[in-house]
Order: sequence, then structure tokens, then C-alpha cells
Amino acid sequence: MSVLCPEIPTPGFSFENCKRNAVLETKGFALPKAVKTGTTIVGITYKDGVILGADTRATEDTTVADKNSEKIHYLAPNMYCCGAGTAADTEMTTQMISSQLELHKLYTNRVARVCTANQLLKQYLFRYQGYVGAALILGGVDVEGPHLYMIYPHGSSDKLPYGTMGSGSLAAIAVFESRWRPDLEEQEGVQLVRDAIAAGIFNDLGSGSNIDLCVIRKGSVDYKRTFDEANKKGVKQASYRYPRGATSVLSTRVVDIEEVAVQRIEPERMEIA
Amino acid sequence: MPMLGIENSIMDDSNDWRNAAHSTGTSIMAAEFDGGVIIGADSRTTTGAYIANRVTDKLTKVTDHIYCCRSGSAADTQAIADIVSYHLNFHGMELGEEPLVEVGAAIFKELCYNYRDSLTAGILVAGWDKRKGGQIYSVPIGGMCVRQQVSIGGSGSSYVYGYVDANFKPNMSKEECIKFVTNTLALAMSRDGSSGGVVRLGILTEAGIERKVILGTDLPKFFEG
Amino acid sequence: MSILAYNGGAMVAMKGENCVSIATDRRFGIQAQTIATNFEKVFQMGPHLYVGLPGLATDTQTVMEKLRFRKNLYELKENRLMSPKVFAAMLSNLLYEKRFGPFFVEPVVAGLMPKTYEPYICNMDLIGCINPPNDFVVGGTASAQLYGMCEALWEPNLGPEDLFETTSQALINAFDRDAISGWGATVYIIEKDKVTIKNLKTRMD
Repeated sequence: MSVLCPEIPTPGFSFENCKRNAVLETKGFALPKAVKTGTTIVGITYKDGVILGADTRATEDTTVADKNSEKIHYLAPNMYCCGAGTAADTEMTTQMISSQLELHKLYTNRVARVCTANQLLKQYLFRYQGYVGAALILGGVDVEGPHLYMIYPHGSSDKLPYGTMGSGSLAAIAVFESRWRPDLEEQEGVQLVRDAIAAGIFNDLGSGSNIDLCVIRKGSVDYKRTFDEANKKGVKQASYRYPRGATSVLSTRVVDIEEVAVQRIEPERMEIA
Repeated sequence: MPMLGIENSIMDDSNDWRNAAHSTGTSIMAAEFDGGVIIGADSRTTTGAYIANRVTDKLTKVTDHIYCCRSGSAADTQAIADIVSYHLNFHGMELGEEPLVEVGAAIFKELCYNYRDSLTAGILVAGWDKRKGGQIYSVPIGGMCVRQQVSIGGSGSSYVYGYVDANFKPNMSKEECIKFVTNTLALAMSRDGSSGGVVRLGILTEAGIERKVILGTDLPKFFEG
Repeated sequence: MSILAYNGGAMVAMKGENCVSIATDRRFGIQAQTIATNFEKVFQMGPHLYVGLPGLATDTQTVMEKLRFRKNLYELKENRLMSPKVFAAMLSNLLYEKRFGPFFVEPVVAGLMPKTYEPYICNMDLIGCINPPNDFVVGGTASAQLYGMCEALWEPNLGPEDLFETTSQALINAFDRDAISGWGATVYIIEKDKVTIKNLKTRMD
């Protein structure tokens, strides 16, 4: 290809840097780690729907990369999906499946079913043999009622009444195993999910910050972003603000930005007389 | 890969349970009886030492009259079962009648053999058709396919070969065979750490499938030292 | 050593009251050897839009050119400017396309949304996971130090002058504790009607 030709991006993953990066690795430059969600994510079914829950910490090795990360992803109007594992993978995977579900809905003129989303997600993850590191809890309500699926990075899935995933899953499952029962009321369910996430936040180093909740009922969704601020920071009592002029400046350049005048040209009516 | 290093998980990726493949370290079996076959399995799915699912259903439907018992990697066996189910139901529609069990087994074998280097799957295919009645085909890890009157599989099976050889009789009654399958699985589950939970049974006859669950508390008890 | 730390560099962006800042050091080195002290890592992508690409210098430039190409094509097709949010999504997709053979950059985006002039900042990891917080973002080899400085110094509703001091001091004091960042710094303060670009006096060791 000529260097002057525009590059036409091909769809799908590109592997053109792989050889170079492998060489760099052999020379002793370790490949950097991507952001992981570290995470506690949970889901339960209750009397008339499902409740999903997540903490909001994202980690890059031991650094907290994001203190308020959104881990409950939108899939369809009646379906949401919690993600744990490699943050970029959970985000991109759910975005892509969400778009496929929207198209599926338009093709079929029906509300997409949760089993369809499960099948799309597990087939996508199986294709990448675990290299797309997304561990998902899929929840939703369709014509058949409420459904909850746990989907693992290698592409297996389990249909369960309740479940947890991520590094805080052990702390959270302990809460469910002792207190979950069939046909919970919504209020009890919300409290149970809150407590399970809180167990993850306080007992697992990879989980932290706030609690997000998502209640999905037949025909309605309640996305409660920051349902509970489990960790309130002490209010700063004084300011560390530097006085103006504290920084020594070598040179200053000011670039003015002119307001772009937008001139709207009204379309003329066509002469039809 | 050894697991449960959760306290180190954010420091050490190699010990991260999310990187481990899910496997159904399992006890599964199938036995022919007078009138059909009985299939059975435990209900445990593990990631290393962690029980990811204690109520798994490893008896997976392929067609109305053909089921499979899955052991090995959960992802691999679920994907294979989905693909075989697609092919076999398509074949059934073209044929205009119920597909034969040996055709189902042949498709399982074809996939398991062709992809033998990248799959970890040990599958028992069982079902009923009007040509040969109740049949069991074992498709173990390399992609072989062989018909057996009784077959066991999964990590728990090695503990109960002797019991099966001593107690299996051809043409048992349904009740007799249910007892035999339940006992075998209970023995396997009590010896094998990666098997456990409840016993799930399926009775495949001309009428289709009849499902049963035997809870952990109702399992037969044997000598426990 | 990580390949992200081969050339060194530090970067920070902050939200203020109707303004945003983005600041970077000026060093280009090969491991411990400093090659240049006038290296560009922050690029203008629109009147109110800047992107910083700390990481492996070769990828800094490659990614910048790919971005500029895709952004120009968008603006020609759509006949309108690209908003920071759209730009971040585009960059995220560009990086995720290379999920299994990534570019070694951890981008920082700062800008004002068109029409509303609402501040927008975000950063990403090297495979394009967007993080859009309400306060500040950091990137580069001094990111641990920068997180500490910013957590202490940042406060809401800073005006352009105070935002400049806060951003500059956060950056300078962070990279003074990083051996492979520093050697001069540039701060961009982006406001509705102007962008102020200041070169700072820093330690040169």
C-alpha cells in the first residue's frame, strides 16, 4: 500500500503490533497490565424481577484507577449486565452485544429475550477462548419472566437464582447462602444485594467505594447509581490552594478562539403553484 | 491451576481465579435398562477448589429423545452441546422424524475428534430411537466413539468401576436401574472431592425424558469409616 | 521494566469552573538517557480539544497521526467539530481494535463540549477503557505521585488562574520524584474564548 493512500480500517481485532510487542517482551520489557475491575458483582432473582449489584472500584495493579467506575452495563431496555475482569473487555463486549440485541429487536419486532443475550455473549467469549477477560452477570425480565445468568470468560454459563462474581465473590456469596430464599420482596432483595456488595467492599482489597444497584421488573427498570456511599471521605477542613503566581512561568502564549458564527439558511419553499 | 488465592488476586494475576477454566470435575453415568436408558450426574462445577455452582445440570438436552452427560471444561462441553443440538435438530427437520442416537453420537465424535487438540470434553451420549431402542455412546477425551450398555465418566468414575462391573445386569427393570445409578453416583461423589451436591437423573424411553432429583440429604448412605 | 516506562513522561488534566487544564512534562529519553527537552506529547485536536499520549514515544506519534486522520475524516463527512466525548469514544475504539497487540500509550483527553462549554476530561488504559471522573485524571510514569498530589490539591470550582496553579504544582511536585519525567513542563488552560499555553520553569535534573 502506498503511504499516500488513506488507511481503510478493517473490522475486528488487529494483530499488526503483536510481532513487535513479542520482540519487546523477549528484550525484557514486560507488557503492561490493563485495568482490571477487581470487583464484587452480584445478582439475585426476587418475586417479580431481578436485582443486580456492583461495587465501583477499578484497579490497575495495586493502584485504584477509578473510584467510581460504572460496572452495571446497559444491554437492552429489559436487560442489564454486571462486568468483572478486564475493564475494557467488559465494556466493549457489552456494548457490542447491546448493539446486536437492538438490531435483533428491530428485525423480529419483539422484546429481546435474556436467553438470546446469554447465547450471544457466551458464543463471543468462547470464540476468544478466555483471552477476552470478561466475567459477566446477566440479568433481565422477558416474556418468560425473570432470568439470571453467570457467564465466565471461557464461554460457559450457568442459569441460577442468585450468584456472585469477581474477587469479592466469596464474601458476597456467603451473604446470599445464608439469607437468600425464593420469592423475596423487592425491599428485602435490595437490602440483601446491598449487604452482599458491602461484604465485598470491606473484605476484599480489589473491591471498594460505592454500591450501584439495578432493579429490573416486568416493564420497568430502576437503575440506582450510587445507591449507597459505603465509604464517605472525611470533608477537607482547610485548603491546600496555592496562591496565584506561585508557579514560575518561562513563557505564555494566549490563543484566542473566535466564536464560530453559525448561519442558518432557511430552506426556500419550492414553487408548486 | 491451584486456586483460592483470592487474597492475593489483585497483586498476582497468575493466581486469579477468573483466569482459570471452569471445569465440571464430575461423576456422570448412563445405563441401559429394559425400555430405555437412565442417565445421571452429580451437580458440582468447580474452579480449582471453589465451587462455582452447586446445582449444575450436566444432563443437557440435544433433541427430545437424545441427551448428553457432560464432563471436562464447562465452556467446551456447553459449546459442543449447542452445536450438536443445532445440527441434529436441522437433520431432524430434513428427515421429518426423530434423529437416531448414533447420528447424534457421530456428530459429537466428529467435533471432539477434529478439535481434539483444543478441547477438554468427555461426553456420554444417551437416548432412545425406534431402530435400536435405548443406546449409550461414550465419546471420551480424544474423540473416540463406542457404544456401551453401561458407561461412567468424569473424575469420580475411577472410584466406581468395580461397583459397576459387579452390579450392572442387562435388562434391569426401571426401578432397579434407578437404584443402581443412584448408588453408583453416591459412591463416586463420596470419594471424589470434585463431585458432589445432588444427583440428577434422566429416564429416557420412547415417551421422552422423565427427570428426577435426589437431594444430598436423601442420598443412600454407605460405609463411611 | 515496563515498555510504558521506556521513554518516561507525566501528564495530568483537571476540571475547573467553565475551564479545563491539561499539563505535561517535556522530556524525551531512552530509559535513563535524556535525548530532548522539547518533546510534544499533548496535541490539539480542535479549538477546545486536546489529547495527551504518554507512553512509548513511537506509539505517541503513531496514535496521534491515526487519531488526526480519523478525526479529520469525521469532520469532513459530518461538517461539524468533533466533541471531546465522541473523540474519546473514537480513541477508545482505536485502542481496543489492538486489544491483543496494543499501542503502549495511556491517553488523557481534555476539552470543552461544543455549545455548552461543559468541561470534559477522561483517561484510558492502553486498551481503551474510558474513565471519565469529575475531578482529575493522570497518566505516565509519575502517575502514582500525581494521584497523591491531585487528591490533596484539587478542589471543585477552580477558576482558570487557580486551576493553572493547582495543575502546575501538582505536576511539578509529582515529577520531581520521578527520575524519568520532568525537564520542563507545559500547561494548557482551555476556556470558552481562549487557550492559554504556559511553559514552566522546572528543575532540569
